[in-house]
Amino acid sequence: MSEQQSDDIGLTDRLDRLRIEPGNLGVSVLDLTAVGVFVLFLLLLVGVGVLSLNYGMYLLGLVGMYGFMVVGLNIQWGYAGLINFSVIAFWGIGAYAAALLTSPGSPHDILLSPVIALVVAIVVAAIVAVLIGIPTLRLRADYLAIASLGFAEVIRLLFLNEREWTAGSRGISGAPELFGWLPVEPVVRLLSAEASIGTARNTIVILGMLFVGYLLVRRIHRSPWGRVVRTIRGDEDLAKALGKNTYMMKMQAFVIGCVLMAVAGWFYMYAFQYLDPGELEPLQTFYVWVALILGGTGSDRGSIIGAVTIVAILEGTRFLNEIDLVVALFEAIPGITLNVSAVRLLLVGLLIIFVIRFRPQGLLPPKEELIWPGAASDDTQSRERQATREQRGVDE
Amino acid sequence: MSAELSLTYDGADLDKDDVVLRTESLKKSFGGLTATDDVSIAVERGSITGMIGPNGAGKSTLFNLISGFYELDSGSVYVNDTEVSGMKPYEIARSGLMRTFQTPRRLEGMTVREAMLVGPQGQSGESILPLFFGGSKVRTEETANLEDAQRMLERFEIDHLANAPSTELSGGQLKLVEMARAMMAEPDVLLLDEPVAGVNPTLAKKLAGFIEELNEEGQTFLIIEHDMSFIMRIADPIIVLDQGRVLMEDTPETVRSDERVIEAYLGGSP
Ligand SMILES: Nc1ncnc2c1ncn2[C@@H]1O[C@H](COP(=O)(O)OP(=O)(O)OP(=O)(O)O)[C@@H](O)[C@H]1O
Ligand SMILES: [Mg+2]
Repeated sequence: MSEQQSDDIGLTDRLDRLRIEPGNLGVSVLDLTAVGVFVLFLLLLVGVGVLSLNYGMYLLGLVGMYGFMVVGLNIQWGYAGLINFSVIAFWGIGAYAAALLTSPGSPHDILLSPVIALVVAIVVAAIVAVLIGIPTLRLRADYLAIASLGFAEVIRLLFLNEREWTAGSRGISGAPELFGWLPVEPVVRLLSAEASIGTARNTIVILGMLFVGYLLVRRIHRSPWGRVVRTIRGDEDLAKALGKNTYMMKMQAFVIGCVLMAVAGWFYMYAFQYLDPGELEPLQTFYVWVALILGGTGSDRGSIIGAVTIVAILEGTRFLNEIDLVVALFEAIPGITLNVSAVRLLLVGLLIIFVIRFRPQGLLPPKEELIWPGAASDDTQSRERQATREQRGVDE
Repeated sequence: MSAELSLTYDGADLDKDDVVLRTESLKKSFGGLTATDDVSIAVERGSITGMIGPNGAGKSTLFNLISGFYELDSGSVYVNDTEVSGMKPYEIARSGLMRTFQTPRRLEGMTVREAMLVGPQGQSGESILPLFFGGSKVRTEETANLEDAQRMLERFEIDHLANAPSTELSGGQLKLVEMARAMMAEPDVLLLDEPVAGVNPTLAKKLAGFIEELNEEGQTFLIIEHDMSFIMRIADPIIVLDQGRVLMEDTPETVRSDERVIEAYLGGSP
């Protein structure tokens, strides 16, 4: 009887086994449209000559990298309410895993494959996250904040001073091709003769990984797990009183977030081909926080929007001194010279003030309700389901 | 005089044959202040046990000790005859004891329906791996829980609030949601800390009705409440706490007319 049943499974059950749920993957048509519009916009910029194709692809790669960090921080702060000030340290763990294990400039003559570096980055980030989590996550949120702030500095100084291991401030340069087996070249050449294959490859890899990562993250966000974690953020005692192992779940959220940050760092080494501890400045952690708050704390879509925004700010301000009007403006004020990095911070500060004043929940705040895909979320659906159930009951 | 009495008092001695929650000589002090002093009580299965006492008598502290939120100085707690003292709050909850808090907090970013779904115990989707390797099981559970939540909300006559963000509820509505959510966990005993504080009289009356109805179906309650008419109407027996000690335990009628209780409330206790 049961054998017969398992032979006779419907399409939905079959898709279920493949863990694919049509229409419930976590991205809507609207999301895809938004991404499409954004890419068209970039192409337009390339078309009119504001942006070179290679630079545009590079920017997209950067969005992918920040995307991983912001989505990771969103799991920690947006879902669970964990304050992590060591985003850049976990990024650094990933970046150094890539640099030390795969770069020809590494002080260790290893030259492993980037895939192995990725696995090492993930495992090391997870272990370190657990080690930080054990003493801090049982305590109130501020302990993690303080500990992570200190940890970020420890990591930076470690990479700076352990020269024999890390090459110190000399840095590590060069990196192998990322996923050389991907048939990127023929496809890109079809579209453009001058595009850099390396940049295209990196961008495709990171955006592909971000897309997959995003789907997985959406899945846990909408799950009972995500619901409990969001309860913990609102009221941890309540979650405990309802029988939830809050320590364990905070730990999971923290580890997952840190792993995503390490993936971002891993990617960096292949995109930039150079790494030194100067990249591990606390300011970088701050930018990720800004991105999350601007995009919408607690929202997965918002995290991506935040990543786009922060890249636009960081890269956009690079060209301030090429815009005649801006230069003229600064020359008009006696005694002040245009300092791009200062203006960048000023802009970030202004933007934060504007968002907090006019849109405190961020550009794309999270939805009020998240329910597991396919579980009845409206009345008609649930009534239908109940009807089928009753019918079955009668038949059997 | 009353001090002597409470020393010899032992709730477990009253002939209760099926006890769901029992405490033995619980003690807790904060610095020099003894908030709970040698408290032994027993809650009979199927009862609505009331707990009264003046402000600062140690009622909420006792709840926090029982549910594991405060660490005991000494004594032990049993749920269904299993010792739970020393366990973590979530473990005690899983052993069948649910509680609400005196000051409920709102869950930001959740609808009432979603908040209700935090109640059910043992959801497989609360672990990470089943989310990727047991999607259909998670979905089945989730569908069933949604239906249960809907039924529970209807039962508490707040189903019209299912789509409302938790942050938009009134204090009274929030108390109802809290109770409904705790019921989703199917507890053996439900501890309510001042369920009608700040709730308007009409809603309080309704709430009393819900509690009695659930009790008739077998649900056990231990309820702290200052509202005398409320607690006297629904609870029997009633435990009186004063200055961290059990002053007496008896029927509402006896408690109401007891001199020591009146004295305690007037602030004239020894
Ligand atoms: N965490 C704590 N730290 C220090 N003192 C506390 C703590 N919790 C309770 N107390 C003290 O213990 C005593 C008993 O407090 P508790 O809250 O249990 O009283 P209660 O009977 O619930 O009063 P109420 O009716 O006002 O809610 C009070 O004096 C209170 O100040
Ligand atoms: Mg109290």
